[in-house]
Amino acid sequence: MKQVGSWIRGRLGVASSYALCAVLFVIGAIHSPGFASASNIRQMLVFASFVGFAALGQTLVIIAGGLDLTVPWLMAFGGIELSRLAAGGMPAVPAIALVVAIGAIIGLINGVGVTWLRIAPIVMTLAMGGLVQAFLLAVGELQSTGDQVPAVAVHLASNRVGPFPVVAIVWLGFAVAAGIVLSRSAFGRRLYAVGANDTVAWLSGVNVALIRILTYTISGAMTTFGGVVLAGYVGTTYLDIGGPYLFTSIAAVIIGGASILGGSGSYWGTVAGALTLTVLSSLLPLFQLSNAGLEIVYGVVILIGVWLASTGHRLLGRLWRRGLALPDNMQGGAGDVSA
Amino acid sequence: MSGVLLKLTGVRKRFGAVRVLEGASLEARAGEVHAVLGENGAGKSTLMRILAGVISADAGQVTLDGRAVSLGSPSAAVAAGIRTVFQDLSVIPQLTVADNLLYGSETSARGLVLRRRRQELARKLLDGFGLGRIDTAAPVSELGLGDRQLLEVVKALRKSPRVLILDEATSALSATDSAWVLAQGRAAAAAGAAVLLITHRLHEVRATADRITVLRSGVDVLNGTVDELEDDALITAMLGRRAEVLYPSRVPPSAEDVLKVVGLVAQGLPGPIDLQVNRGEILGVGGLQGQGQRELLMALAGAQPWAGGVATLLGAAYAPRSPREALRRGVAYVPEDRQREGLFLGHSVQSNITISGLGSFVRHGLLDARAELRAAQDAAARVGISHDRLSARASTMSGGNQQKVVLAKALLGEPAVLLLHDCTRGVDVGTKAEIFELMSRIAAAGTAILFYSSDLSELVHVCDRVAVIAEGRLGAVISRDELTEDAILRVAVRLTAGSHGRVAA
Amino acid sequence: MSSSAPTRRLPRLGVAMPQRLSWNSALTAAILLALIIIDLSIQPALANLTQIGLLVETAMPLVMVSVAQTLIVLVGGIDLSVGGMFVVANAVTVVWVGGGGGAHQLLIVAAFAVGIAMGTLNGLLVTGLGFQPFIATLGTWTIYNGIALTILPTDGGTPPPFLSNFMVATVFGVPTSIVMLVVVFLAWRCLRATRFGGRIYAVGADEERARLNGTSVRRVKLAVYGLAGLCAAIGGIYAAGADVSGTPTAGDAYILMSVAVVVIGGTSLRGGEGGVGVTLMGAMALTLINDIVDALNLNTWVSVAASASLLLVMVAGRTLVEAQLRQRRRR
Repeated sequence: MKQVGSWIRGRLGVASSYALCAVLFVIGAIHSPGFASASNIRQMLVFASFVGFAALGQTLVIIAGGLDLTVPWLMAFGGIELSRLAAGGMPAVPAIALVVAIGAIIGLINGVGVTWLRIAPIVMTLAMGGLVQAFLLAVGELQSTGDQVPAVAVHLASNRVGPFPVVAIVWLGFAVAAGIVLSRSAFGRRLYAVGANDTVAWLSGVNVALIRILTYTISGAMTTFGGVVLAGYVGTTYLDIGGPYLFTSIAAVIIGGASILGGSGSYWGTVAGALTLTVLSSLLPLFQLSNAGLEIVYGVVILIGVWLASTGHRLLGRLWRRGLALPDNMQGGAGDVSA
Repeated sequence: MSGVLLKLTGVRKRFGAVRVLEGASLEARAGEVHAVLGENGAGKSTLMRILAGVISADAGQVTLDGRAVSLGSPSAAVAAGIRTVFQDLSVIPQLTVADNLLYGSETSARGLVLRRRRQELARKLLDGFGLGRIDTAAPVSELGLGDRQLLEVVKALRKSPRVLILDEATSALSATDSAWVLAQGRAAAAAGAAVLLITHRLHEVRATADRITVLRSGVDVLNGTVDELEDDALITAMLGRRAEVLYPSRVPPSAEDVLKVVGLVAQGLPGPIDLQVNRGEILGVGGLQGQGQRELLMALAGAQPWAGGVATLLGAAYAPRSPREALRRGVAYVPEDRQREGLFLGHSVQSNITISGLGSFVRHGLLDARAELRAAQDAAARVGISHDRLSARASTMSGGNQQKVVLAKALLGEPAVLLLHDCTRGVDVGTKAEIFELMSRIAAAGTAILFYSSDLSELVHVCDRVAVIAEGRLGAVISRDELTEDAILRVAVRLTAGSHGRVAA
Repeated sequence: MSSSAPTRRLPRLGVAMPQRLSWNSALTAAILLALIIIDLSIQPALANLTQIGLLVETAMPLVMVSVAQTLIVLVGGIDLSVGGMFVVANAVTVVWVGGGGGAHQLLIVAAFAVGIAMGTLNGLLVTGLGFQPFIATLGTWTIYNGIALTILPTDGGTPPPFLSNFMVATVFGVPTSIVMLVVVFLAWRCLRATRFGGRIYAVGADEERARLNGTSVRRVKLAVYGLAGLCAAIGGIYAAGADVSGTPTAGDAYILMSVAVVVIGGTSLRGGEGGVGVTLMGAMALTLINDIVDALNLNTWVSVAASASLLLVMVAGRTLVEAQLRQRRRR
């Protein structure tokens, strides 16, 4: 019993992210019955999985103490490059494999720049994003776009197995795999070590450079894959298609309880973050909120979500135990939100 | 006879579960140097940090001139006239000497003119203290540790303080620099300040202080004038018992060499260093502080590239390019700074211990949790950490226990060579004895140990031989029968005569 | 005594400046100079005050946002909400201040105040609630964007007349944009020389030590965030004048660009090193790249690629020089 208690306590951060998501969902369901319908839930799962793909690599990168800003451009790259290859006559499956491989290589370059050249992650990935953007602009300017997205990608994004969308199942598979790798593999443990303190990790015999490079490589591959699926869903490609995902991929990770300083976090937390963001963006239009209102609420929820995942749940727990009496020592500062 | 200027009564402070101060009291008089003595962990530094406004007390009162003062922040303490020479320095490396000295008193004016004016002010200040050799325009990061400490003193004395705190201000200094700092302390007292002196060196107390207070376990247990108190009485008061033999018995090492180094050269270690450690031997690494000992151990641990030299480990060539390679070859390193280089403070004790050996717990691609736990338990048992602490966060452990965790981590892979960098610094006497006992046991089991300590008496009592390093070169290797503190110091000082090293311990 | 503990130091170029800063800014200046020469050789007609003034006018919104970013980076933070603060001030200027045909021109003060308020909110989240700067400003970024869209739902509005006049005015024949650039630089130099200026660097370099020196880290940071809000707002106000219209979605582009400018200029993302001076040069360098690409009639992608490459080259170059210096210092 005591162990169960400590297990839960150790995961309160993640649990509070799911709780936030559930609360938002219930609000939506109460407000409009259609919100909890199977088709709407499916729709939200599909949207959430795009965020989830982009945020998987981001989770690993952030746990290792880095940051990946190439996300929006790699999302766009996935779809545009796939369509281009397909238009050139390449069969869809090898084309997808090739595109994802190129994404991985771009991620690899990020990793090499960050580890070997010791360029700050923000700067390195920002510059790489710029180069990818330049490539996409060049492709768009030098030849006509509007190529068809191959049918395989379209099917992947819109088919179902029974009541479940294929993308969501793929996402679940990735989540299970990422969860196991992070908590049960040597790579996962070394990843947390690198993020917590890279000097200690290095002196403890961890191949810090390799771990870091791997995280960026995985991030590059996963984000590009997300771009392929997204293009399949939208049915067409354009340069700004990845725009929203810079923000959401990072927000999902930190709402999920990871520290932006590295060394903590989990992919199941990120899944909660992705779901929360998606539920929120489907919920707000129901309240006739304009785009502007949506953005404001988005930001507020992110701040609340991060606060809940880091210190808020402890504070709320304390309040709860005191029978909701205000604690006497509660002053302006709520302590250290380390996320 | 001057009156009491500063009075602390019943000061209490705890950090989490650890009670550091349990009602400590202190009275310091204007015009006197008042030494505060005590073992590591007795609460001296905590008391001084409370006075400096860095941390706040849980209970107790501080009065200055009979009036209660509240020391809520460093600036409040400064405003009250309390100036502190901090042990871990408050000078900011990125700023220039002048900017540091005049910090907080910049006046707004036009660019260049102002900068020149500030240089002049700083220049005048330093000249006044006889430190004309320090360049006021240099960033502090370019100064040596000793000079930074002197700057710290000048900074504290700049606006003649009412209370001056010298918190182990001499521990990193050479004898001449120490004497200078202590003289400044005396001068401040002569000018009417109450000076609080924290030091581990009794001879400094005898030479400088008028009055002594001894702290033990967070309470003041003894006070009086220097003349009343004998050394014996002081030590008894500090330890709470007669100092007993701390050092373990040793099994003589074998003559079979484990690690043999010829002509080692690395950055900060001009060398060439020739060394040999045998099975079961504890080879001390001694000398003044900062003479290349860190670089030597780092190079052997693969954490610093070699510029030259060859080595053999258990008969095979050894030239590690990374700590990973060194560990794989059986060379484990316990770094100098356990908090920054040794531990993942936010992770559990178990994850800390097993990080270097994760590869050996992998079954079918995943970690075997049970095998990992067993290995962690074994390692913890060897260093004397109880099993129920394995799931605790490393940050919640005391300093001594943290050091044990680092040792357990190094021992996990059954190393052939163990490199220990000052692993007893900042550790309480009891844990120290345990660590020496552990070293002795590991050595008896056949491990070769290189042990650098800043405390000469430890080297003398624990080691089989001591290699003295001076200016990055090997001065001499002193054998067991000639091993005295005196002998080590002689080699260290002769080699660095006229080149300004700092005396260890 | 005086013989003890020798200090090793590098040969120094000037007396007053730390070595690092001088090679750092020299590098940025060299790049900027090279770009100026290239641009002038392509379009010699550019070499007159009016043309330069127009170029600086183009650069000014980026300059001000980058100055805001620099301040935050100097205290060891990062600000993703600079774009949000930019657009709120932009919207306020064209709707509240410019609305009613310029009857409420004094409301410009409100536009400044709104900037300070938004920056201060960021500062409160960081210093009061302990949010990491990245996270806090990630949240306020979208909040401020939303506020801007509420005030001005689509592109449009009109800036107040005095702002339009300011754009075309000259001071002794010098266009106001150039004057403003110089004023920003001088204001920074003065600030740098004050007690507060010194504290910005101390807090950025080492918060704990700054605290030991009696500095209230919270207060310094709060002030810096507020000041950054003001700078970003000035950028938005200026853009309203330059574009003769408001654009509530223009902010996002400036966020990462301002980080790039700060880094190209040579301010360290670790905090405590660099300054506004080099940032001004960095912003002008990026603007020149665009100008050159335009003049050569090249495609947009060339300018994007060139900017990204410049960022990489500057950063990698600095890392290498720094490593060299550190090695030399050790010897």
